[in-house]
Formats: sequence, C-alpha cells, structure tokens
Amino acid sequence: MDHGDGSVVLLERHSVQAAREGLITDAKDSPPSLLLSSQKMYRETIIDFEQGCKCLEAGVSELKRILEEETTSETLIDPKQYLELYTTIYNMCIQKHPHDYSQRLYNKYRDIVEHYAKKTVLPSIQQKHDEYLLRELSRRWGHYKVFVKWLSHFFNYLERFFISQRNQPPLLEVAMKSFRDRVYLEVQVSAKDVVIALIHKEREGEQIDRELLKNVLDVFVQSGMGTIERYKEDLEMFLLEETESYYARKASSWIQECSCPEYMIKSEESLKKEKERVTHYLHSSTESKLVEIVQDILLVSVEKHLLEKEHSGCSALLRDDKIDDLSRMYMLYHPIPKGLEPVADAFRVHVTREGNALIKQAQDAAANGSFVEAQLLVGKIIDLHEKYMVYVMGCFKNHAFFHKALKEAFEVFCNKKVGGSYGPELLANFCDSLFKKSGNDKLSDEAMEATIDNVIKLLDYISDKDIFAEFYRKKLARRLLFDHHKVNKEHETSMITKLKRQQGGQYTSKMEGMVTDMQLAKEFQKGFKGSLTKKPGGIDLAVTVLTTIHWPSYKKSTDLNLPREMVQCVEAFNSYYQSITTARKLSWIYSLGTCHVIGSFDPKPIELVLSTYQAVVLCLFNDTERLTCQEIIEQLNLSHEDLVRVLISLSCAKYRILNKEPASKSIATTDVFEFNSKFTDTMRRIKVSIPPPSMEEREKVVEDVDRDRRYAIDACIVRIMKSRKVLPHQQLVAQCAEQLSRMFKPDIKMIKKRIEDLMARDYLERDAEDHHIFKYVA
Amino acid sequence: MHKLSRSNRDKVQQFVAITGASEKNALQTLKASDWQLEAAFDVFYSQPQPRSNADVRRLEELYNRYKDQYSDMILADGISVLCTDLQVEPQDIVTLVLSWHMNAATACEFSREEFVGGLQALGVDSIKKLQEKLSFMRSELKDEQKFHEIYNFAFGWAKEKGQKSLALDTAIGMWQLLFAEREWPLVNHWCDFLQDRHNKAISKDTWEQLLEFARTVDPSLSNYDAEGAWPYLIDEFVEYLYDKSVVEK
Repeated sequence: MDHGDGSVVLLERHSVQAAREGLITDAKDSPPSLLLSSQKMYRETIIDFEQGCKCLEAGVSELKRILEEETTSETLIDPKQYLELYTTIYNMCIQKHPHDYSQRLYNKYRDIVEHYAKKTVLPSIQQKHDEYLLRELSRRWGHYKVFVKWLSHFFNYLERFFISQRNQPPLLEVAMKSFRDRVYLEVQVSAKDVVIALIHKEREGEQIDRELLKNVLDVFVQSGMGTIERYKEDLEMFLLEETESYYARKASSWIQECSCPEYMIKSEESLKKEKERVTHYLHSSTESKLVEIVQDILLVSVEKHLLEKEHSGCSALLRDDKIDDLSRMYMLYHPIPKGLEPVADAFRVHVTREGNALIKQAQDAAANGSFVEAQLLVGKIIDLHEKYMVYVMGCFKNHAFFHKALKEAFEVFCNKKVGGSYGPELLANFCDSLFKKSGNDKLSDEAMEATIDNVIKLLDYISDKDIFAEFYRKKLARRLLFDHHKVNKEHETSMITKLKRQQGGQYTSKMEGMVTDMQLAKEFQKGFKGSLTKKPGGIDLAVTVLTTIHWPSYKKSTDLNLPREMVQCVEAFNSYYQSITTARKLSWIYSLGTCHVIGSFDPKPIELVLSTYQAVVLCLFNDTERLTCQEIIEQLNLSHEDLVRVLISLSCAKYRILNKEPASKSIATTDVFEFNSKFTDTMRRIKVSIPPPSMEEREKVVEDVDRDRRYAIDACIVRIMKSRKVLPHQQLVAQCAEQLSRMFKPDIKMIKKRIEDLMARDYLERDAEDHHIFKYVA
Repeated sequence: MHKLSRSNRDKVQQFVAITGASEKNALQTLKASDWQLEAAFDVFYSQPQPRSNADVRRLEELYNRYKDQYSDMILADGISVLCTDLQVEPQDIVTLVLSWHMNAATACEFSREEFVGGLQALGVDSIKKLQEKLSFMRSELKDEQKFHEIYNFAFGWAKEKGQKSLALDTAIGMWQLLFAEREWPLVNHWCDFLQDRHNKAISKDTWEQLLEFARTVDPSLSNYDAEGAWPYLIDEFVEYLYDKSVVEK
C-alpha cells in the first residue's frame, strides 16, 4: 500500500466525521458527493494560500451577511459551501512543506475574529446608550457566538491536529480573547453602570427586562475566560457596593419609621427579592454575598436598636404573644452567625423580669405577713415556665440558645429567698400540699402527672438540690406517718421514680427506703398483733418500725415517763421484737406517736385524737385534780419547750380541754391547770392539733445539709485525686465544683477547707516543689 | 523490739555488736535491706560516717551530766543547766537551731541518741567547742534554704506530743521568734488576725504555707492570687488586711 492510498482512506473517515458534526441535515446524499470532491481534490494540484483565503473570505462574508439578516433558520450556511470551506482548509493543512499553511491559517483565523469584533461588533454597540446599549451588546454577543461557532466548524481540522500538536491556544479561546479585548474592555464600564441602574429601578419596584440582564451578565461571566474574575471585579464589586449603600439608606429610614414587626417584614421581603434576583439573572456565586450584605445592613447593624424598640421590640412581642413576629425574628436571625444570641438574650432578660416580678410580689406579701402568695408562687412559676417553653419549642424552633436562656432566667429567680424560705423549700412545700389535696381540690391523675413533671423541671433550675431533697424527705415523712389515709401511693411513687430518673439513684434511695419501710411496718404490725394473746395495758397498740438511716433524724425520747398502761405496751412490743431479731436496736420516738383517748366529759364522752405527748399530759389528770406547769415537767421528764406547745394546744387553742389559771395566751411555769369536765363539742371525735416547731426544723435541715455537703465534698475530692494522683489546685477545685453542681452549688471556700482537712488527715499532700499542686497519698 | 521475731532480734544484736551502731539505726538499716545482714552491712558502711573527731566517750559523759535523774533523757531541767553552761537564754532561737541539728522530736527534750548524734554531727565534744559553734549556728538562720528547713522543723518540734496541730499561743510565739530573724512586715497583723478571728490551733499545712506566703507574696499583696492554693486561713487574712485597710486594694 502506498502513501497516497492511505491518505484517501484517512480523508474519507474525517470527511464523514466532519459532515456528521457539521450540522449537515441531509446526510443521505452527502457521502457520495463528499467522496467525489475529495478524490477530485487530491488529484488536483496544490492550493496556494491566497487562493484558499479568497474562498475562506467569501464564506466569512456570507456568514456575516446572514447574521446581519438575523435569520432564524437552523442552517445558516449552504452545506455545499461549508463542505468546500472545510475541505479547502483541510487541504491547505495537509499539503507538504513549503505548502503547509497551518500556521498561517491559524493567524488568518485570529485576523478574522479580531476584525469582526473590532469593525462590526464594537462600533454598533458604541453607537447605543442606556438600555439600548445593553440590547445591542446582548444581540451582538449572540451574533459573535454563532460566528465563532461556524468558524470553528470551518477550521475544525486545524483545531484537531495543528493546535493540539503545537499546544497553541484553541480557536474558541482566541475568539473569546478577541471579544474581550476588542469589545468587552471597551464597553464594560458603561454596560455595568446601566446594569446597576436597572437593578436599582427593580429594587424600587419597576418592571425591567430580566432576560436582557441575564444575557448581558453572561458576557461578563464569559469574558473571564473560564474564571468569573471579570464578573467579580467589573460588576459584582460595584453591585455589592451599591447594594450596601442602598440598604443602608433604607435601614436608617425604616428603623425610624417602622415598628419592629413592620421592619422585619420589610427585611424579609428584601431578602426574598435579592435571592430571586440571583436566580433570575445574577451569577449564583453572588447570592451568598448579596444575602450577607443585606443581613448585615438590615439586621445585624440595627439589631440592638430593633430588639429594644420601646413599644414593639422583643420584650413587647413576648408580652403581647406575637407568635408570628417572634417566629419571623427567629427565621431572620437564625442564619446569621451570632445573630441569635442577642435575641436569646432579650428573651432571657424578659423571662427573668417576669419571674422576678412574681418573686417580688410574693416577697412583698410575705413582708406584710401574708404567706399565701409564697404558697401560690411555685404554681405561678410553673405556669410561667409552661408559657415560655411553648415559645422555645414553637417560635424558636427548639433552638439550644433559647433553652439555655430559659434555664438561665429560671435559675436566677428560682433560687431567691421568699419570706425566709429558700426556693427548694418552697418547691418541697408545694409538693406537700399537692399530694395532700383532697376532695374538690383533688387533681385528676393526668393533671397530677403533668404537675409532677413540671416540678421535676423546676428542680433542674434549683442549685441546691440537696436542700430540696432534705425538705422533701421531711414532708414525705410527715405525709407517710400522719396523713397516710390521704396519701395516694401511686403519685408518691411516680414522683420518686421521676426524681430518680433525673437525679440518680443515690438522690432518692432514702425516699424509696421510707416508702418501703411503711409497707414492711404494716406486715410487721400484723405479725405483732397475731402474737398477742391480750391487749397490753388494755390498749390497741400499733407500732411503725422504721429504718433510722432512711428517715430524718428525730429526737429519741426514751426518758419520758409514760403512764403505766403505755409502759406495758412498750414492754410487750420490745419483747416481741427481740424474739424476732437481736441484730437491731429499737429506739422509740414518742414525739411522732398518735393516741386515741376517750374523754369522759360531763355533757358527753368525746373521742380525742392526740399526739402521744398530749395524751401523756392529759393522763396525769386521771389521778390529780390540779397541776402546775412545773409539776408536769417534773412528773413527765418532758422538756419545757415541748410541754409549752402541748399545754397551749390543750388550754389556749381551739379546744379547751384543760382550764388554765390565769387564763392568758402564754404559759408560765407557775400556771395551774385542771381538767375541764364541762368541755363539749358538736363532733363525737375531734383532733387536737399541735403546731410543729417550724423554725427549728428549717435550721436543722440547713445544718443536716451542711454536714452532708462536707461528706460529699470530701468524697468528691478523694475520688478525683484517686484517679488523677497529681492535680493543680485550680483544676481540683474546678472539677470538684463541676461534679457537685448536679447536687448543689458548692462554696469554693468550703472546698478549700475540705482540701486542708484532707491534708491534715493524710489523704493529700502538697507537692514539695510547687505548693499549688496536690498529690494523692495512697 | 518486742514486735520482732526471734531471728530478726538476733540479727539486730549481731549488727549492733559488729558495727557499733545504735539499735534504732540497726533496725532501720536492716529493715531497709529486707533483713539481709550482708546487704545491711553494705548499706551501713557505704553511708558517710559521722565525723568522728568528736569523742563518743566524752559525749556520753556530757550527756550524763545533763540527763534526768529518773529517765534516760535530758528534760527541761537538764536543758536549763545546758543553757546556763552555754551562756544563752533558754528562749534564744539558737536553741531551736541546736535542736534542729540534733533532730530533736520535741521541744525541751533530748534523747541520748539525739544528743550524742547531734553533737557528733556538729563535730563537738565539749561545752567549750559547742559554745564556739553558736555563732555559726546563728549564721545558719540567714541561709534561705536552711531557714526554710528550720522553720518547717519548728512545727513538729514545738507542738504537743500526739497532737496534729500547733496550739495558737505556741505558734504565735514561734512566729515572733522566727520572723525576728527574717523580716516580714505583716507578722504582727497575722498574729492579731489569728487571735481576733481564728483562735484555734494551726495546722501543719497553714504553718508551712505561711512561710511560702511571706516569701513570695509582696507585703502590698500586689501579686496575691485569690484563686491560688493558699490555705483558707491565709485567704481570710488577706480579706482581713483589706477590711482593716492595712493594705489598699
């Protein structure tokens, strides 16, 4: 096979391919003609450069002419002419040296596009102004693209072989560069000004030709030759500047004229419009910058002013339940970095103010001697919490900032003191009255569960959870021992279970122990009853055996002189208990006992429900007519303080079972008492209540809690040091405070004292070199 | 000795017979060498020997001169005689330095080992030589490191036997004495503060940290760090100084 044959085969293949690519619609009859002409051309002599150029220029003029006519038909160039042009160029490229015109053809191509851009495109654009300039630019840009496309078809062979072999810039790049240098750089400044003016018009509400803008902006993008640098530098930069000053003007006038909700609606609208603008004609990379500027100017820079607007700011919106506006506020500030913090802070301030107002109200009432408000306070705080939780979940989309703000707000006022009571104490009292409710006040099971849940939530805000536990336990003890007929066991257990879930098993172990004790005590009582052959001392004795560690510490009162009958009871039970177990020690707490005594009054006998102390005092009058206070103390070995309370309840309160001389409201040791046989009441059974020593109780709780805290801190320090071995002072204190904060807010001074105490007890020592570092002594 | 097994007791006696060391020393060395006699000898002889230019026999004589009539100890009376011989006041701080050299466990008491060992280490075997050493001992108080050691030693030395902390009166006395040697402008305020607000015994930690405080914290408190690891009492003292406007905040 000789060289000539090979070329023919090669030619055939490329021609067919060119025909396929070259938009020749009638593919059926082209291959034969193609083959014919190419065979003919091969056989013909060499085409010289001028001759080829003439043919090429004819084609280019034809192309220009057609473009000027703006024909819409698909095929601009007659396929025959196209084929001829393609083949001419092909031949000029494959002729042997010195007739290989590839390089010259490449230069020719450059001349053609340069010429077109400079002589045809540019002048026609420069004639026009304003919007017409853009229209012309857009039209001419369209022409230029078609022009270049066709040229690339003509020069296809050159592109594929010459350019790729020589590493020259591709044809399209050459054309684009010409357009950029000859046209774009000349007109871009005026075009940019018109574009920005049009956008300004649109912002002011006028209709503009968006399609036109889209096309013009395409020129800016394409002129970057593959990057968007030109668009960014020549247009976007100016657009963003203009945007900034436009919205700065708007913001300063809106913030004066509009209320906060109106302002937010306008801002929302502006943001939406700017985003639309991007989808309609701007480059997509502009969106984030544009949005950022608008957010910055309209929202961030005026945020403080906006949120604090006097009659319509955040606080007013919260006050007036403007849920939609608050949601809008959240939506607007949510995407902005650090945008939500001020909103959350305004929310926190508002909630704190509301809460403090409730506290203040209760404190003022308490100062005037009314404690009703203090009792209602917890309920009100729960309502407040529910109200604002709805906002957090709804308007503020459950965002962590707002949960935190709510928590911080509640932590402020839940820990305040009202009328001498701490927050935790009030909460425990609230629970107590909640569980003791009966009759019409009684809550449904669902309402009860919901309230319990709320209490648990509030407890989370209380820093001294240990104080709550102590008060709660005290109240629980009273409920279990004295109000067991009112107590709903399910509610009590539910509360304890929920506490356990939130605070951990250690927190509730004593409470659980108390509930279990009551159950075991019932069983035990059954066993005791069964073992009796007759009533000891003629009394129906019921004993509740409790485990000391589970219950609040009570004063043991074994040295009280009981009446003979009661002594028999105690002995009977003691001997039964010893027959069951010897490992445990019984200590009697008479102060918690209850007695039912029949009072044989002259009008009618009445059953009296009394505390053991009251009963013991009354029993003395079985044998003696008159006794002085001092005599009673001596006979019973009862403390003066306790006896005074008992005597007040029997002689100066609602029921006067004892007559007192002189008849005053206070008790002196010399006062004389006698049994009031004339006493009567409409009821057949009365409960003579005795006030608990309340102030003392509170101090005792604080004292107990203080002691428990010392143990807790010691344990915590030792636990940390045991695992860390060596730790600087500050870290130790910080870790300790952090671990304990679940239960209470430890005083740093107290931690320090405990560290020193542990050092004295050889658990810790200071580092010999650095006295700030502690070491664990194993 | 009563707690030791028979074989260990034998070893101690053997050790004492061969080396001439004290029983206490023998016990310590043997324990440290896990009751291996050979190893214990190695340890014993590789230790620097106390300077032997002090004649042990003469030291024993000296000890017997001051020894209590009824017990094998030098007690208060003996010390008083010793002070007279040395021509120093019993409350002179140099007695503390001497006790430190003897490594005395308690104030106003020297055991035979403490007395003999201490003088041996000082290289003196007569009152005259000891007297000549006094000015050296006084100069030791000016040495920062030695003062620190003596200060810390003073706590254990001055406190009552069996107590963990130092009675406040004793502590204040010791501070007055010690800080006379080493100037600390706040010492009187410190003592006033303790009597006024604290009035309890002083723990070892507080004792030791006070010197650290006096050494490192400027009397104007400019470099005091409330977050630091100072004992609670020192923090209170700083507050007291501010309260009383001794120091301006």
